Amino acid sequence: MDIIRARDLTVGYGRTEVLRDLDFTVPEGRITAIVGVSGSGKSTLLKTLAGLLPPLSGGFDFAGSLVDYRSEASLRFLYGKIGVLYQGGALLNGLSLFENVALPIRMQYPKMPEDMVCDMVYASLAQVELAGSAEKYPAELSGGMTKRGGLARALVLDPDVVFCDEPSSGLDPITSALLDDLLLRLKETFKMTLVVVTHELRSIERVADSILVVNDGGLRFSGDYADLAAADDKFIRTFFLRKDSHDDA
Amino acid sequence: MNEPQAAAATPETILLPRRIRAPEVAALLDGICRSAEAGPLTLDFRDVEEFDSSTLALLNYVRGRLANVVTVNIGGALARAEESFVRRPPTEETKGPPSGGLPSRALTAIADRFIFQAKSLGRFLAMLGDEVYHVGVYLKERKGVYPGETWNQMFFMGYRSFPIVCLLIFLVGVTISITSAEQLRHFGADIYLADLVGIGMLKELVPLMTGVILAGKVGAAVTAELASMTVLEEVDALRTMGVVPEKFLMVPRLLAITLVVPLLVAMADVVGIFGGIVVARVTFGTPPSAFIAEMVTAVDWTDFGWGLIKTVVFGWAVVVGAGFKGLTVGRSAEEVGRATTESVVLSITLIIVIDCLFSFILY
Repeated sequence: MDIIRARDLTVGYGRTEVLRDLDFTVPEGRITAIVGVSGSGKSTLLKTLAGLLPPLSGGFDFAGSLVDYRSEASLRFLYGKIGVLYQGGALLNGLSLFENVALPIRMQYPKMPEDMVCDMVYASLAQVELAGSAEKYPAELSGGMTKRGGLARALVLDPDVVFCDEPSSGLDPITSALLDDLLLRLKETFKMTLVVVTHELRSIERVADSILVVNDGGLRFSGDYADLAAADDKFIRTFFLRKDSHDDA
Repeated sequence: MNEPQAAAATPETILLPRRIRAPEVAALLDGICRSAEAGPLTLDFRDVEEFDSSTLALLNYVRGRLANVVTVNIGGALARAEESFVRRPPTEETKGPPSGGLPSRALTAIADRFIFQAKSLGRFLAMLGDEVYHVGVYLKERKGVYPGETWNQMFFMGYRSFPIVCLLIFLVGVTISITSAEQLRHFGADIYLADLVGIGMLKELVPLMTGVILAGKVGAAVTAELASMTVLEEVDALRTMGVVPEKFLMVPRLLAITLVVPLLVAMADVVGIFGGIVVARVTFGTPPSAFIAEMVTAVDWTDFGWGLIKTVVFGWAVVVGAGFKGLTVGRSAEEVGRATTESVVLSITLIIVIDCLFSFILY
């Protein structure tokens, strides 16, 4: 079953169309990678899917319901079902890691007993192996820890879909591989749907079940890695297989 | 890619050196332009072996701009590089001037600016309305705001602002008293300094100065903080957590300013009047008790109350203006600085406009 289904979706800022007429689906319980070169519109698409940037035209269904940006109830429904890991982690600097992860619980369920909040926060932090750093502030965390902290916050209310904006960018290969392991574990253990924006080829090969390639203002490819390897598209061959035009000749 | 020699009679020829990179191009360009003005000129590239993008830009420039110049003996690597040299698209300048004369363009620019400002004002007023609604809803439901945040903001806005507010208001009290005392002395109306200081401080100077100090200290800090949060995607993160940032971030600040302003104003009134008492004592030898006794005949609690109300309104203008600038900032660090400056200007402008409106109501 597909949890997201986009139809004629055009995304962009103001009057500038970044990606036009996209038709794609995101299968439930799998990891979908949105791939493209820098500036191709991957993050813009992610923002639209996460309810932050209204589409310029077209739209998308989430869990069977059309997301209506003009309706507060529709956006609330969407926000209640997703978690987002931002590129820089986006932890609030004035709050400790514990308080950051507890924030969605305290805001959504203000009457939840503090003991339960603590249990949920520590369970989420343990998933990303940060339970020992709960009292630290974002300024005291490394880049990888900040991203894992952001992921813990995105996971704490067990969302149906987690969007990850370039989770490995700026990280060393070991930390990056650890984050990939974590994404795989979330998928396998919790049957979670993950949408990952990335251009890390190793990461795509390792974690992605389904791949959407965006380039030149449109969707260039949709399928799995095996289809991708067999694709006869010059851009895809150049991007993924590192074959340039000389090889093609 | 050799080119034929120029057909013009005895053109001057410049044989370019083996190495022609940015420093050599810069040194040669003036000479080439002067020679091209004097008559036909041939640039011979036969010896050129070391070059860079500035060499290619030079080729592009002389071909596009200098009709008298012919380039010859371009071959090998330079020819290949020239083939792959991507030329910039035509700019506005090369496309020709925009349609319409200067007055028409100036009017269009003024109209665009006016529309932009009108839209900004609309968004600001919409945000003000939203904030009044959010504060009302929060006071009723008591949720949607981080616990303890209002106290943190009260500490920052009140306790941290207290010393600078007191110092500046004291100095304003002293200054206004010295200036007025000199004039009152001419009429033997020394004692009326108390009336002047009392009314001036309670109704006008304390509210205005406190508002301006809050704009500089609190407004700038609020904008910088919110703008940084916007740039670092923290505001987006709040939104996708189902939190309304305009409520979560603004309500504690608005409640804090509403609660601390009365305390600040009360203290500032005391300190400002104390400045007047000091000057009256030193200048006229007026005893403090006489000063206060005279002052209470001229002012009453209504004056204090209006001053308080004005300052609370100024405080709201500062915080809403700061929030508006902070939450509508772009995505670059540079815009954080610009938003902060604009926030202070906006807040002070609002304070003066509101003060003017109050003057119509009160006098």
